[in-house]
Amino acid sequence: MQITTQDRSGVAVLYVSGELSRLHVTGQTLHQAVKSQLEQGKRNILLNLGEVDFIDSFGVGEILASFTSTQNLGGKIKLARISRKLDFVFMVTGLKRVLDVFDNETSALQSFTRR
Amino acid sequence: MPNERLHRLLCRFTDIRPDEAEQALQLFLYFFLTTFSIYIIKPIKESFLIDVTPAWWPYADFITAGLIGFVVAFNTRLLNRWPRRKYFSWATISFIVLIILFWCVFKTGAPDSPIPFTGTIIPWIQRSWPVPVFVFCFWSDIFIVMSVTHFWLAVNDVFNHRQAKRTISFFVTGGLLGGIIGSLSASRLAHTMGPENLLLIGPVVLLLILAIINHLYAGRKKLEKDISTETARMKPDYLESLRSIRKNKYLRILAGAIASAIIVGSLINTQFKIAVRQAIPTDEARTSFLASFFLAILLISAIFHLLSTGQILKNFGIRFGLLLAPSVLCLGTLAVFLFPAAGIIAWACFIRGSDKTFDNTISQSLRELLYIPIPPSIKYEAKIFIDMFVNKVAVGLGAALFWILYRISSFDRISSIEQIRQLGILIFCFAILSIILIWKIHAEYLATVKKDLSRKWQDPHKVLAENMDVDRARLIADTLQSREVSSTLYAMNLFHLIRKETLTPELKEFLTFREGEVKARSMDSLLDVAGEVFYPGIEETLAEKETETMVTEIMDLDVYRKAMEARFRAIIKDEAFTEIERMEAAKLIGFMKPTPIVIQCLDHLLRDSSLSVINYALSSAAMHRCAEHVSPIIALLENPMSRYEAQNALASYGPGIEDILRVQLQNEAYPLEVRSTIPDILARIGNQKAADILCVQLSCGNEELEADLVDSLYKIHSMHPKIHFKKKTIENGVLSIVRKTYNLYLSGAENKLSPDLPDSVSDPNPAVGIMIKRIFDLLTLIYPSDDIVKAYQNITQGTHKKADASLELLDNVLGRDIRLYLFPLIEDLPLEERIRHLKRLVKGLDQRLVMVKPRVVGRFV
Repeated sequence: MQITTQDRSGVAVLYVSGELSRLHVTGQTLHQAVKSQLEQGKRNILLNLGEVDFIDSFGVGEILASFTSTQNLGGKIKLARISRKLDFVFMVTGLKRVLDVFDNETSALQSFTRR
Repeated sequence: MPNERLHRLLCRFTDIRPDEAEQALQLFLYFFLTTFSIYIIKPIKESFLIDVTPAWWPYADFITAGLIGFVVAFNTRLLNRWPRRKYFSWATISFIVLIILFWCVFKTGAPDSPIPFTGTIIPWIQRSWPVPVFVFCFWSDIFIVMSVTHFWLAVNDVFNHRQAKRTISFFVTGGLLGGIIGSLSASRLAHTMGPENLLLIGPVVLLLILAIINHLYAGRKKLEKDISTETARMKPDYLESLRSIRKNKYLRILAGAIASAIIVGSLINTQFKIAVRQAIPTDEARTSFLASFFLAILLISAIFHLLSTGQILKNFGIRFGLLLAPSVLCLGTLAVFLFPAAGIIAWACFIRGSDKTFDNTISQSLRELLYIPIPPSIKYEAKIFIDMFVNKVAVGLGAALFWILYRISSFDRISSIEQIRQLGILIFCFAILSIILIWKIHAEYLATVKKDLSRKWQDPHKVLAENMDVDRARLIADTLQSREVSSTLYAMNLFHLIRKETLTPELKEFLTFREGEVKARSMDSLLDVAGEVFYPGIEETLAEKETETMVTEIMDLDVYRKAMEARFRAIIKDEAFTEIERMEAAKLIGFMKPTPIVIQCLDHLLRDSSLSVINYALSSAAMHRCAEHVSPIIALLENPMSRYEAQNALASYGPGIEDILRVQLQNEAYPLEVRSTIPDILARIGNQKAADILCVQLSCGNEELEADLVDSLYKIHSMHPKIHFKKKTIENGVLSIVRKTYNLYLSGAENKLSPDLPDSVSDPNPAVGIMIKRIFDLLTLIYPSDDIVKAYQNITQGTHKKADASLELLDNVLGRDIRLYLFPLIEDLPLEERIRHLKRLVKGLDQRLVMVKPRVVGRFV
């Protein structure tokens, strides 16, 4: 798993690629990456998962942990370009109502500016 | 005499229907004349035989036993080849001719004949004397057996089991009266006419019988045709009859039971002869004693028959009636070991009198009833074979047993009392054998009756349980419906189907097909259904094992729980969540672990204002089965829209909530529509405690809950046959419904008299039908349910013959009180006749019900 971060209009966009699973934890985890952004004072975070090949429950746990950490600091975390399967899993688990999920990055970024 | 008047007249003597009256009277007269002629012929035979040297006497029985087989073979051949009417007529005519022939022989051929003779035949007869006497004895044995057999064949032809059972004691009365009048006539006329001339009464009586036979079978061409068709298939062979009996277990046991009873009778007769010979040495005194004894037996038989036979059959059934004779004889035989030698003649009179009385009355009636359920294709040849061949062979076997005992032991050197006691051991053994065979034949009798009955439809509860998963069907319906509400809800329902392993390829295909349909309908919104984006391929993706595992693992995550609990807390705080969001939350809770927040949120959603949310919450409550939710679920029973789901939820709790449900059921302050849902929930819990609560409530006699209680008890029994129901409680419940059904009939009958009411108002049948079904449903709880269900189905929808077989089955299965009060409701009776029966029984039924004190809350309080 690889994570690269870019700042887009005050939103920290984390580009995640590879496999987001417990078997592929090398170095920094997604949650650690998000926490790092939070420590840098970022409060709007977008996780772009468009290049993620595979995600398991560990990966979802990382996303949720990131969500909790961001929420605790009064920030917002949103998801963009998740796979169809993950979308279905979010539906079944009710997370679709908890997490903000967008089809593309642009609309996700726009949603941060919307009141 | 018009049928109606005749029916009214005969009704005083027997339980008879208007359309049976004429035939019953004919059969009564037929049997009266048959036994009348027998009791004319019998003393003539005895008189001629006594005239022959005593050393020859035992051989008369052996001759009959040895030759009867040939007669049976010949008789069976004729019976199978000829129509019944022709066969009976020609048999009767041949008896008439033979009697006249015997009269000629005895009148002219006897060595002391006063008539001078010429020619060659008569001197030959005189030279061969006493051969003609043995021929006459043999013929009279044949005549007696054949006449009686013909009569019972006619009864079998004309009536079915139920009719025969009701009328048989009437015919036996006719037979007994014929016997009494025949014996009295013989004893009076013998002095004035002489024994040979007495024979001439026979042809006159037989001519009358011939007329009755022809009248009875006239207009019954269809019956004759049926009988001919059935019997034409048989090979008219004596050995074939024997094979038929050997092949058929029922007939084998029947033949064995009859043979053992006859052997017992034959040995008792020998005991009696020994006692009489020892007690009354002179011929005149002995003859006079015997004449009085046999007349007394006939009179006692007639009285016993009139007073008891019908009552015993009605109140105690066939088995008790069949066992009565061998049991009394068994105990009576044992008593001989206690009796002093001086009083042995009194004991012998008792035991012989008992044997003959039972034989003349209840045993004879019941023996004939046992032939009725046999298939017509073998019934007639079997009956002739058993009644004639087995009967006479058994008499011969009795004589042979005595002969063997006489030869192998020093029988002639011991005292009379010792001789009687030694015979007593043999009698005891055969009486026990008879009891065992009767026990077996009763079981076989029921099996034979049941063979005619088949189930017309299956138990709906079982059919549903075996063929349909109601929960799955509901979930599929919810899934389809949810697709138009929210894709998240749809995904959750799909996942639920997957978890239950019920998302079959067919269902997946069906859901996909529906998806296309929905899409087509929503083209204007470009795959947007009710504001939700629709996802093609969701079914396949969720059905993957990997996805299922992933979802399960996510739900186990602590972080997930915390995230969702935060949302649930918000819902509890009544923050602005849409109805769809609350529905999704309610559904999701069902998948989650029951943490305090989850339980609290579910409790909140169970009190939601939206019925859709409540129904999803009920479904989740059914999965968690938490005690905290029982109260809000019970409260939801009040709302007709959520009642069904609430019932399901409570039922899914299973054992443990019976007491809570009992309190609701018994609380009269609670709305009736809510209380009436409780029995079904208890039935679905389906354990002993639930059944006991329902039984206690049934015994309270609450009319408004009766239908639900009965349905639920039936359902419990149907799904859990091992659950035990208290017989008395159920019987009382049955009788209580029977009483209400009486009311329906009786009030219906009164209404009918009122010209102001339309027929539909006064016709009690639709309501009666429902009550009868309820009665049978309850009966399945305490009697063999398959028998009861078959009987109900065949009574309500079977042919006349099958309905009769059903009644016969019930008559042998049900308890006395139930039979007594239920039968007038289910028997095929004209309305007026039924009302008459009900009016007669209603008082007794009320008294029976008063004795039952309602147990309001029983031991559960």
